[in-house]
Amino acid sequence: MTWLPYAHALVAREDLPIPAWLFAWGASIVLIVSFFALSVGWRRPRFEEARWRPLGAGLSRGITGLPVQALCGAIGVFLLGVAVYAGLRGTEAPDRNFAVTFVFVTAWLGFPLLSVLLGDVFRPFNPWRAIGRLAGLGFTAIAGQGPRHLAYPQRLGRWPAAIGLVAFVWLEVVYGVSGGIVASPDPHTTGVAVLVYSVYALAMMALFGVEQWCRKGEIFSVYFGMFSQLGCFEVRDGRLGRRRPLAAASSWATVPGSIAMVIASIATTSFDGASEGAFKGGIETVFGWLTDIGFDPTLALRTTNTIFLALCFVGVGLVYLIGVRGMRTVHGAPPLAKLRAGFAHTLIPIAFAYLLAHYFSYFVFQEQAQFTYLLSDPLGTTTTDLFGTASGSVDYKLISATDVWYVQVGALVVGHVVGLTLAHDRAVAWWGDYRDASRSQYWMLAVMVAFTCFGLYLLSAANS
Amino acid sequence: MIPLAHLGHYLWVLYLVPVLIVIAGIVRTMIVERRRRRDER
Repeated sequence: MTWLPYAHALVAREDLPIPAWLFAWGASIVLIVSFFALSVGWRRPRFEEARWRPLGAGLSRGITGLPVQALCGAIGVFLLGVAVYAGLRGTEAPDRNFAVTFVFVTAWLGFPLLSVLLGDVFRPFNPWRAIGRLAGLGFTAIAGQGPRHLAYPQRLGRWPAAIGLVAFVWLEVVYGVSGGIVASPDPHTTGVAVLVYSVYALAMMALFGVEQWCRKGEIFSVYFGMFSQLGCFEVRDGRLGRRRPLAAASSWATVPGSIAMVIASIATTSFDGASEGAFKGGIETVFGWLTDIGFDPTLALRTTNTIFLALCFVGVGLVYLIGVRGMRTVHGAPPLAKLRAGFAHTLIPIAFAYLLAHYFSYFVFQEQAQFTYLLSDPLGTTTTDLFGTASGSVDYKLISATDVWYVQVGALVVGHVVGLTLAHDRAVAWWGDYRDASRSQYWMLAVMVAFTCFGLYLLSAANS
Repeated sequence: MIPLAHLGHYLWVLYLVPVLIVIAGIVRTMIVERRRRRDER
């Protein structure tokens, strides 16, 4: 018998019925079939109008009324305070300190999920918005008039939020280095970072106004708000209402910087996934070059990861731009700049799918820690047991590796089919003739298939 | 002995195949469409 010396890279998930790359082929077929089904059966736009309808006045008042808003704001401020205090005064072990899991898992991954399901739920809980509004009310009471603000430069659009998003993820996946490997930032760094960001956000709110800054520049409001565009609940003029799911996304990307925001979302998740598998060899090589020319190992690792993060950003942006350029070649196409902004919203479901696929198991495991020992012993000093769950632990058998894989594949396939549907709908609206619209969407099909295959490759490489 | 030790490093090629098929399909359709339009003119 011939012995085949398979090396480390061929180690794959043994319990999968077919190889991981065949899932990519299957997902591509689903996308191609969806594309032709849309071409045949979707001949008029359905998402250009959100068709918002108010819900019952009592329910709306109960949810959006001042007492609930004040309570949500107070909870947000309290949790921010706990995170900062735990970060600065708690244990230096990241897995035992409330701050790290709360900031980088519970809030960062939980709010996108809640936003898609329930609408922009971060808005009432936003601690900086709550503090800013309270300060504004105090100012008005003392000065007898509302605070005056600078006019927000329209050209800036969502750029501050997009740049802030990259900075936040850089802190999470690049800055934290421990023992020569990338690790979560330590609790003290997390606490300081939250404090620094709080000062920055409040200063910007004082300059440009609380609501204006939350709409355009506050990283988390813009990021979570982007995902809420996919859902069917929205508050308008203080009234809760229902709208057609996905429809609100079609007008989201008209503000400058929105394309950068959604591309940054996909790129940062891609980098986090790729750095554990697909980019490992490349990262090791560049790291070796940098240490050879005299870089300190920590600086070399941070520089290498920054380069690869930037490469992800460029790569995702290029794939999208190729798709847009391809659409431009079809008869009756709008100008390139209009196409570029007009189809950016089709990437929002992909950003969400990447997030869900990449962090699903991590979220499930870490939330067990969050709601057991981290809640009862936030400082991780083993001296408190607030809710009697300080001795709790994480059950890593709660979901199997195969289940995780199926959730990942399912999220990617559904996310890309939704993206394709949004793109087809916009094309039908802009081209008028559904045949030209379908022709223009060949290119978006290529973009979606590329993102699906890339996503599944990243996951399979990270899991192997 | 077959030297397959580092074959796993090239598995990414299999993820590229569907993308290339779709792009080839697009390019072919574009060429056919363009030729047909030129003939009609």
